[in-house]
Amino acid sequence: MTNDTDRTHRFNELAEAYSTDLYRYAMWICRNDALAKDLVQETFLRAWRALDSLKDVKAAKSWLITILRREYARTFERKVPPFTDLEKVTIEDNDELKPDERTERDLLRKGILKLDSKYRDPLLLQVVFGHSCAEISEQLGISKSAVMTQLFRAREKLKAQMQKDGVTGNVHELF
Amino acid sequence: MSMNFSEFKKLIGADPLNRDAETLHARQSSPEFEAAATEAEAFEEKLQAAVLVTPPGDLLDQIKGISQQPVRRRNWVPLALAASLLVFVGAAGLVWKQSNQWDSVEAYVADHYSHDGSAVIAKAGEILPKEDIAKILTRLDARADEQLAGLITVIKYCPTPDGRGAHMVVSTDQGPMTIIYMPEVQATDGEVVRFDQMHASLVNLEHGSAAIIGSGSQNTDSLVVMVRDSFKTGLIDA
Repeated sequence: MTNDTDRTHRFNELAEAYSTDLYRYAMWICRNDALAKDLVQETFLRAWRALDSLKDVKAAKSWLITILRREYARTFERKVPPFTDLEKVTIEDNDELKPDERTERDLLRKGILKLDSKYRDPLLLQVVFGHSCAEISEQLGISKSAVMTQLFRAREKLKAQMQKDGVTGNVHELF
Repeated sequence: MSMNFSEFKKLIGADPLNRDAETLHARQSSPEFEAAATEAEAFEEKLQAAVLVTPPGDLLDQIKGISQQPVRRRNWVPLALAASLLVFVGAAGLVWKQSNQWDSVEAYVADHYSHDGSAVIAKAGEILPKEDIAKILTRLDARADEQLAGLITVIKYCPTPDGRGAHMVVSTDQGPMTIIYMPEVQATDGEVVRFDQMHASLVNLEHGSAAIIGSGSQNTDSLVVMVRDSFKTGLIDA
């Protein structure tokens, strides 16, 4: 009984610590709010079943991300979901943002959506989860130097996209 | 060896919040480096704000609800023996089919719930709109009244030993519980089926039957009463 209680406690701690970031990550990689929610739930369902195999709590974040990425690959292989109109998704807004700052943020979001997954994946692991380049390298199974190149290019592409959209005034075409 | 400006820009472009000694030293080496690093940090701040997407309000509670489900701890010795037997019997018997493969309603209920019961519960969210519930139940010639429909968080078609049925999750004060409606199957009314730390109460209805399934700690009695009173079958002409 105590074991079950401990297990539930461990699981709930993981849920509290990582569910928000996992949802954000899921949302940006699959760009569909319903699928993102399903993905996170399925991730935790699998995590619950396999919790005993998680020996080192420090590895929990990477472990959960791996589960989510595998589940996403499985889901995505089965069907390509329609992309969510991001305007319909609740996004944390900073009311104190000035109009031009808000525009800049929206352009940035548009840029993230446009990024090829090769660049978006490492960028999200770094920005959403705070992964180091070494951790991203391990997570994605590519060299650290490749990760650094992709991260650098991802940011360059975002800046270029923002500059292009900002200059041509495409802000009204967001999402 | 100190890095040149191009190398520095690539480094902070890949990892703007890098604070290792080499980067800090390079940053302090000239105003040009310092300005590039400050610019990279400012961009990073905007990037971090841009990815903030708010999860659905009920997500955490639903995830925590998963831990209410029992974990099936496997004993590998019987499994190995079973595997040997199954090899002997043949692969055909291994597949979970949507046909009359079950010897009994009891076997079906246990098998069905083991197949996807936990996964369906994990998908439970808000109470479903009445129209969504009616759309499925009407096709099965059934109806849930306001009280029962007001508890249903998941509904989907599912196979039964004889035709199509409905798999529902209802929200109760004891947590989510499952109802499987079998329109063409008669059960032994009042019988309780136990499997994998779960228990299912079978209820015979006007047409067909239902299994009300809860985990070890959940009491299905009140839900059984509600299903008897609130779940109408064979009444829909349309």
